[in-house]
Amino acid sequence: MAIIPGMTELTRPYWAAAGEHRLVTQHCRGCDRIWHPPLPRCPHCHATELDWRPAGGEGTVYSYTVVEHATHVAVADQVPYVVAIVELAEGPRIVANIRGCAPADVSVGMPVRVVFEQVTDDVAIPQFVPAEGDGG
Amino acid sequence: MIRGKVAIVGIGQTEFVKASPKSAWELAMEAVLAALADAGVDPAEVDGMCRYTPPFEPVSEPMLVRGLGIRELRFFSEAPLGGEALGAVMAHGASAIVSGQASVVVAYRAMSQSVGGRFGRADGRPGGADGGTHIVVPEEENRSFSWPYGLMSPGQLFALWATRYMHVHRLSEEDLARALGTVALQQRRYANNNPCALMRDRRLDWETYLGARVISWPLRLFDLCLENDGACAVVLTGTERARALRADPVYLLAATQTLAPYREPMGIYTEDLLELFTPAAAARLWQGAGVGPGDVSVAELYDATSFMTMKSLEGYGFAAEGQGWKYLIEEGIGPDAPLPVNTHGGHLSEGYIHGMNGLTEAVRQLRGTACNQVPDASVALVGAPSGSAVVLAR
Repeated sequence: MAIIPGMTELTRPYWAAAGEHRLVTQHCRGCDRIWHPPLPRCPHCHATELDWRPAGGEGTVYSYTVVEHATHVAVADQVPYVVAIVELAEGPRIVANIRGCAPADVSVGMPVRVVFEQVTDDVAIPQFVPAEGDGG
Repeated sequence: MIRGKVAIVGIGQTEFVKASPKSAWELAMEAVLAALADAGVDPAEVDGMCRYTPPFEPVSEPMLVRGLGIRELRFFSEAPLGGEALGAVMAHGASAIVSGQASVVVAYRAMSQSVGGRFGRADGRPGGADGGTHIVVPEEENRSFSWPYGLMSPGQLFALWATRYMHVHRLSEEDLARALGTVALQQRRYANNNPCALMRDRRLDWETYLGARVISWPLRLFDLCLENDGACAVVLTGTERARALRADPVYLLAATQTLAPYREPMGIYTEDLLELFTPAAAARLWQGAGVGPGDVSVAELYDATSFMTMKSLEGYGFAAEGQGWKYLIEEGIGPDAPLPVNTHGGHLSEGYIHGMNGLTEAVRQLRGTACNQVPDASVALVGAPSGSAVVLAR
């Protein structure tokens, strides 16, 4: 059983890019800033002229937890799993799992890079692996 | 400014149990009637009502108005964001009284987690099935960016905070366990002396605490709050009426709500994850109350997890930023500590009524009728998530 993101007009471009194995963040054409998660307008200059800027896919672990007790039946067979807040090199933070290493090997500040996990035939989601690793 | 203009004249509660045969509606009625009886106010006199926004609060104002035969409400309001609503319902009710829009305001919270869905489980919440094989998470408050990764429950979020805290303030796992265990063990000791507490008969020692299963590392079972059924209610009036009703009204010095970007209780994208609320919110609380942290006799701090108790000590100014863990290890929160905290046992050990049982406990402390009475308690802080708070005085 996969847990897949429901999409809105605002969030669809993010997931559509992920489906093509590209990581993007929302970008303001007015003041050139980026952020995540998506917003209707630029939160800084309130411009409506927004587009999506590719991210390099490099980041560091800002914080993480090892979930050992599943709180949803859909992840019951996945524990223990690592949920992390990853700070992208460009600044914004995104939530993802850390794949490709044992939970005990994850640490705050650890360099990670994006990979894409196909959760259904149609949906892929960004995940992260240790930057030096081969991605498991 | 509400200081000195509004008082709590009645408190009421049901029993706190794992699974009550009573409906949330009945639990709410029982708690409200108990609070009104405690205040000596006829239900027909109630003209204001404040509650937590659904789906948190399952019992609506219309249900209580017709259920209790209340003549007419002329003010009613809802406060969103879960536990954050605690300070807000007090702020709304007090503001209504100060502005003349109501004279007798009831605030209540009825929990029915045994049938209404448990906060610690994510299964029971909306999330449509896609042909029975996939869970589709509707986008709401950025859930569609966290649920696909198995980040679904408050305990997991607090674990993210705790890990970050360890990193920034250079704690070992043992340091964190000693600090959080101090909270869990002391709150349990308070509960062991509280006949209303769910955990009144269950002792907790270090061995059991440290040996308990990890729920979401670095948090263990006893770092997380209880799930249960029960209800609490309070009655507010203006101070003049309060003095006529009883000899020991408990005065509101301040009641606040606060919101900054991503600082809603489940927000995780805030610039500094460890900042529970802006320092300005704490400053505003104390300024409005006309007292400071040093004047507080007892604090009931919102403890969805033991981590929240620790971080709140920093946020409200009882410990310096990053020093809450040391403060806990050195001073503790027991009856002889500089600041006794969660003297009813808190959400970890008395019961989880979304902060409202911390409010009723603060009132008992200021009346001098608490189980674990702090001698001569004169000022109490009731903290809620994200910096929503209430300061009370006798």
